[in-house]
Amino acid sequence: MSDDPTPVLRAEGLVKTHHGEGAPAHAVRGVDLRVRPGEFVAVTGPSGAGKSTLLHLLGGLQRPDSGSIWLDGECADGWREARWAVERRKRIGIVFQFFNLVSDLSVADNVELPALLAGVPPKRARAERADLLAELGLEGKERSMPGELSGEQQRVALARALVNRPPLLLADEPAGSLDSKGTREVMRLLTRFHQRGQTIVLVTHDARLASAADRVISFFDGRIADDAALDGGAPPRRAGASGVLELRD
Amino acid sequence: MRATLRWAHSDLRTHRGEALFLVLATAGIVVSLLLATALFGYATNPWQRVFTQAHGAHVWLHTAPSADTGRLTELDGVESVTGPYPTASTTLASRGARAAVELRGTAEEPSVGRPLLTSGHWLDPSDPDGVVLESRLARALLAAPGDTLALPGTDRTVTVLGVADSAEKRYRPGEQPGLVWAQPSAVRDPRGQVVALRLTDPEDTDYAVQRAVTVLGAGAVSEVSTWKQARAEAQGDNRLLGQVLGLFGLGALVAAGLAVHGAIGTRIRGHLRDISVLKAIGFTPGQVVRVFLLQHLAYALLGALAAAAVVQGLGSRIPGRLGDAVGVWHGLPGHTVALLVVPVAVVLFIGATTGLAAWRAGRVPPVPVPRRASAPGGRLSGAARSALGLRLPPALVLGWHRAFSRRLRSPATVARLALPLLLIVVAMSAWTTIERFDGRPEQVGLPTSLTVHADAGLTGRAARSVLEGDPQVAAAYPGVEVAALVPGQTATIALRGLGTRQDPYPYSLAEGRAATGRDEAVAGQGLLALLDARVGDWVRITVGDQPQILHIVGRSIEPENAGRVISTSLDTLRENDPGLGPTLYELRLRPGADPGAVAERLTAAGRGHLDVHAVPNPADGLSPLRGVIVGLIVVLALIGLIELLTAIGGTVREGERDLLALKAIGLSPRQITAITVVSTACTALAAAVAATGLGVPLARWIIDAQGASSGIGSGIAARPSALLLLLLCVAAVTGAAALAALPASRAARRRLADTLSAVA
Repeated sequence: MSDDPTPVLRAEGLVKTHHGEGAPAHAVRGVDLRVRPGEFVAVTGPSGAGKSTLLHLLGGLQRPDSGSIWLDGECADGWREARWAVERRKRIGIVFQFFNLVSDLSVADNVELPALLAGVPPKRARAERADLLAELGLEGKERSMPGELSGEQQRVALARALVNRPPLLLADEPAGSLDSKGTREVMRLLTRFHQRGQTIVLVTHDARLASAADRVISFFDGRIADDAALDGGAPPRRAGASGVLELRD
Repeated sequence: MRATLRWAHSDLRTHRGEALFLVLATAGIVVSLLLATALFGYATNPWQRVFTQAHGAHVWLHTAPSADTGRLTELDGVESVTGPYPTASTTLASRGARAAVELRGTAEEPSVGRPLLTSGHWLDPSDPDGVVLESRLARALLAAPGDTLALPGTDRTVTVLGVADSAEKRYRPGEQPGLVWAQPSAVRDPRGQVVALRLTDPEDTDYAVQRAVTVLGAGAVSEVSTWKQARAEAQGDNRLLGQVLGLFGLGALVAAGLAVHGAIGTRIRGHLRDISVLKAIGFTPGQVVRVFLLQHLAYALLGALAAAAVVQGLGSRIPGRLGDAVGVWHGLPGHTVALLVVPVAVVLFIGATTGLAAWRAGRVPPVPVPRRASAPGGRLSGAARSALGLRLPPALVLGWHRAFSRRLRSPATVARLALPLLLIVVAMSAWTTIERFDGRPEQVGLPTSLTVHADAGLTGRAARSVLEGDPQVAAAYPGVEVAALVPGQTATIALRGLGTRQDPYPYSLAEGRAATGRDEAVAGQGLLALLDARVGDWVRITVGDQPQILHIVGRSIEPENAGRVISTSLDTLRENDPGLGPTLYELRLRPGADPGAVAERLTAAGRGHLDVHAVPNPADGLSPLRGVIVGLIVVLALIGLIELLTAIGGTVREGERDLLALKAIGLSPRQITAITVVSTACTALAAAVAATGLGVPLARWIIDAQGASSGIGSGIAARPSALLLLLLCVAAVTGAAALAALPASRAARRRLADTLSAVA
């Protein structure tokens, strides 16, 4: 992998421990990760494995206790919260399982807000928003409030995350609160954006969703247990279980 | 900036109620503070009131008798000229007190600088020796309508017909002669004349004076006095009202600031989830802080501007005293400054409190994670557990637990709620104290309600039998009151001999004991402060040319003469001067008697030899304070209400997280509602108890400190009745419970998809 072009995202030795009530919870303990441009990486694992924390670290929403992160080869270790916020506007789109939308903004405002924040002129922001909502099948919902939407909320969240065309999309259980139809819909959309070259890191415990990715990382107890490419040639290095087991048809 | 505006705009659209509340709260605070300032100016500045009501003159010119004052009317900027009135300088004497006075011959009541009669009536052409005294002069001479005053050195006497307030330079013994209005015929040897100018622009006084002097010729003008001089002299008087109002105003502002801070804090807590999303999509912490700060500053500014506009435009149309106060305030010089400073200060203050809350909003983590369960220390106490075991209603136990288990926030909530309640208790104490002056004056140094002066036509024994013959008179205490000089002091004090050893006058003592023995006396705080003396000291005073040495054995509450009064029994004074007979009688009436009716009966029974008038009560001058106190209690109650609503909002939100768990363990929605209601009521109860416990001693201390500094003396403070305090506590608790009931029951019946949605 060392001969690859600059990775969109690189992490080394990430450690994060939550100090809540009782014993400290080791959410992430020593994670190394490289995400190449255009790659669709799914991080799977049981709940409580620390997947979401890993994603929050990668998006700068939480700060690691130790370890380093590079965005497009730029080291983010010294960035403060404000700098991360500015970077998120252009370079990272984020979709959560819940609470994706500002509850007192309309769908249109929710999607346009990141564009305005990034300094896009209002006219262009409106055009971008209209295009995206049309593509996601949300025409006519512009004036709705998030509370009035059900399954469509996650599609609006996708639109909001992608309106600035960020190089990297981080998605945390984007279908976690959806029924099977909604899940299929989100999967279809992610695949479509991926095919256009969008780099995606997806955290999910849903194997069906993970199957859309071209690389699946199994996360367990805060560590990467396995890292396997799903299609194409053999992965360059096999560290986990797939390095030991080779399944034959 | 666009994104910020877009968010603020949507927030306003969806939270119109909250925005309206903030605008109204700010407007309410600014209106009440501006009205307080207006009342302050109105009530603490009696001179201004007298000046306005008297249609006061801006310039008084004393000139030679020959000066042609008619030309003054033609001057630019002079609205009207009154006079000239002939004047003569002379001296008046009454019962040992002497005062330099200016006799002013006014046949008609002057239209500018009109004397405002406080007792008696205006000059009567049929009584050429009748005069009207300026009220300060009358007080110094211990003279009242009906008294006869001598002009020493002549055999003339004048009779006091009335006493009037005036906005002219006040009487100061030895410095400024007192003012006496008399018939022009009574001014026998006029040495000069006086003319009053009312100006169109009072600020232009100096220029007007300059031109007036030029017109009359510098040689003809002997003295010029302006309204500014008179006002400067009048300032520093009547500090009590000012200090009480200032204290309450500041207390209310702090309470209001806390209330607004709490309300904004609650609002931000309600926004936590949205703030997280905002941060996830790229709002920096600084932007979040700015959004909240600018938004609330805009609301506060809007409210403050509206309030200032309303007070400025419509304030003087408020019926009653408040409208008068605003009207007078418009004319006061500090008006524009106050109108600017008060709203700006309130907006800045609210900006500062918002800044704190907004800073917390900036520190909200950008990950929308559920907050940790309540702060540590939420364990049920042993007592609570056994209470549950005793089958006490679980709502009661859990409500109590919720009110007092959250370590840090509950004391803060109780304290914030207690502050307005505490100020209400202090206000109630002030009210009760004034009430005591009215209802039980014998406890505050006013045991008698009528003073009777007898002239030579009615000897002591006969006068006493007439007075005591009235069925409504409980006791008549003979006495004398003379002005006395203290060696080394320019000030005059009043020396009173009242009552006899067999029948002592019922002084209200705050310290020491009653004066029963030879040469023993009690003194007011003002006198002790003047002489730097203490109870137990001996003092030497001079009456006329006779020294009198008295042993101060007690301190009496002394509302008269700024407490500069020393009182002994008539017997003590007689030992020094055996010829001394009583010149006045203090009458104690039976409970329920009407002093006015008794006074009329006695005047008739005395057949012209008795002069009866009511003892002035210092509380009469404090009556503007009552309206202020009621207004303050209303404002404070509103502030308390806002605090209460904030506390309820917080409790309900905290409770939402436990909703599913409480339902799961089998509590009915009604019981869950009851938990919140009980918890709110407990918080209110704690606040009310704390407010009462701290407020009563605080009020006593403040009022007594005021009493001491005004000369009346400490010991005048009255505690509000226990019933009233109990009523306040009950009102606070039931009000809290009633207010909490609706939001709590609505929250208890809400269906939640899962506990995660209760994160915020």
